[in-house]
Amino acid sequence: MLIETNNLSYVYMPGTPFQVEALKNITLGIEKGSFVGIIGETGSGKSTLVQHFNGLLKPTSGKVLIDGTDIWSQGYERGGLRARVALLFQYPEHQLFEETVFKDVAFGPRNLGLHGEDLSRRVRQGLEMIGLDYETYSKRSPFALSGGEKRRVALAGVLAMQPEIIVLDEPTAGMDPQGRLNLLRLIERLHKEENLTVILVTHNMEDIARLADRLLVFSKGKIVFQGTPAHVFSFAEEIKAMGLDVPPLVELVQELRKRGKSVAKGFLTAEETAAEILSGLSGRNKL
Amino acid sequence: MSNIIEIAGLTYHYQFEGEEKFKALDDLYLQIPEGEYLALIGPNGSGKSTLARHLNALLLPSEGRVMVEGLSTSGEDNRYEIRKLVGMVFQNPDNQIVATTVEEDVAFGLENLAIPPEIIRRRVADALEMVGLANLAHHAPHLLSGGQKQRLAIAGVFAMQPRCLVLDEPTAMLDPRGRREVLETLKRLNHNEKITVVHITHFMEETLEADRIVIMDKGRVVHEGQPSDIFSGAIELEDLGLEIPSIPRVVQILRQGGLNVPPGILDVNQLVSYLC
Repeated sequence: MLIETNNLSYVYMPGTPFQVEALKNITLGIEKGSFVGIIGETGSGKSTLVQHFNGLLKPTSGKVLIDGTDIWSQGYERGGLRARVALLFQYPEHQLFEETVFKDVAFGPRNLGLHGEDLSRRVRQGLEMIGLDYETYSKRSPFALSGGEKRRVALAGVLAMQPEIIVLDEPTAGMDPQGRLNLLRLIERLHKEENLTVILVTHNMEDIARLADRLLVFSKGKIVFQGTPAHVFSFAEEIKAMGLDVPPLVELVQELRKRGKSVAKGFLTAEETAAEILSGLSGRNKL
Repeated sequence: MSNIIEIAGLTYHYQFEGEEKFKALDDLYLQIPEGEYLALIGPNGSGKSTLARHLNALLLPSEGRVMVEGLSTSGEDNRYEIRKLVGMVFQNPDNQIVATTVEEDVAFGLENLAIPPEIIRRRVADALEMVGLANLAHHAPHLLSGGQKQRLAIAGVFAMQPRCLVLDEPTAMLDPRGRREVLETLKRLNHNEKITVVHITHFMEETLEADRIVIMDKGRVVHEGQPSDIFSGAIELEDLGLEIPSIPRVVQILRQGGLNVPPGILDVNQLVSYLC
């Protein structure tokens, strides 16, 4: 198992009147090469959890293990962990700060001790992975780019560290549909081609249902459901009561089945769902 | 119905020091009838926010004109009146909160108008009732959820008794519950209080119940129509950097597959009752 947590609990501001128990006894495992979606209301503990994966937060109790080793055990090299587990926060474009795109993307790898040719190569790779031309972009100011480009440059800076795991917290918030779809396609491609393990925190149920092979649903600091998107969204009533949404396509299939129509579950794109409805029509059990 | 807003030949150039002029709005025409719920969509950079800022004279036309209830935003003497008529709500709720309790925050705008305290108290109470925050009147705004903060921002504007509310991506930073709360509040505001709503959004699902959708591209209005027309498949939304919501998309494919589903179907319930 690549990432494991064992009875992980985290308390913000313990011993003060503002004490909040953000995570309560979380035990989970994330396999290498998987695409995991994390959903839950604001304040349910999602962001607190992912900040444990690269040691930004230290558990109040319980353990975080990477490749089977407790990252808070004596002598564990947590510095190296930041390169293996890359964390892209919400609105990452707010964290761009250098004069040029090159310098901004180079910031992380430079801190890993790279310089000269090695450093340039990493920057070039980072930019290529996100589909921005090195020659065109490396000398430009990151602040003169469009919103979507800025966000991709921030992602390039993280990818230039050559991480194994990438954690994205609401990466598409505030983007227009085209920008959102482009970024999601990019993440999908990195997952497939670079074999990146992806952990995506999002409020967009439709996107995550389509992309993730496994979902974790958080509520009040606990995991309340986990499994494939089809499994998780079969608890439609519970999901809605938690303040989340059920993707309309999932709801459509559930409603049709409730009324005795023969449509199979587990289709997550409009194309697949429509095809299933049409084939149900031509089958014996007509709609 | 008369138009609350009439825009004719509106062009707007941004000019930053040392940079070339950028034309954000290009000979734009738009009329908004009193009481309409209008959804404004379009890719980033299409001019939606620039247009929104013209509706209450935060920006002034480079060319053309913007009329609010017959008052031109270019007339300096009209601006005070126009800003009373048209209220704005922006994307980030945290940037719009000024006071230390919910009710003081709503009262802020009214206090600046030198309105008698008993009237302020009544309007604040009404506004909080309207957005469903009456029970949180004495709470600290920074402890509210995102959806509650955005409803607080709406209450602050509503208390000023505007005739039109312009919201620039009010749900972009909210979770699904917050989004739902804000949408319901806007519908109530439009339906019960007859306030004209101009709602800018990147979430196509949020436009499905609008009276009219206006699509912008490159500083112009390129399409307008009812949601059932806009999402019927007749317009290539992908080319405009937009997407068709999933249920209308299913309907479109079903029709291509030879099933005679009416093209105006927009949500799960409508489609299910047609198919069953």
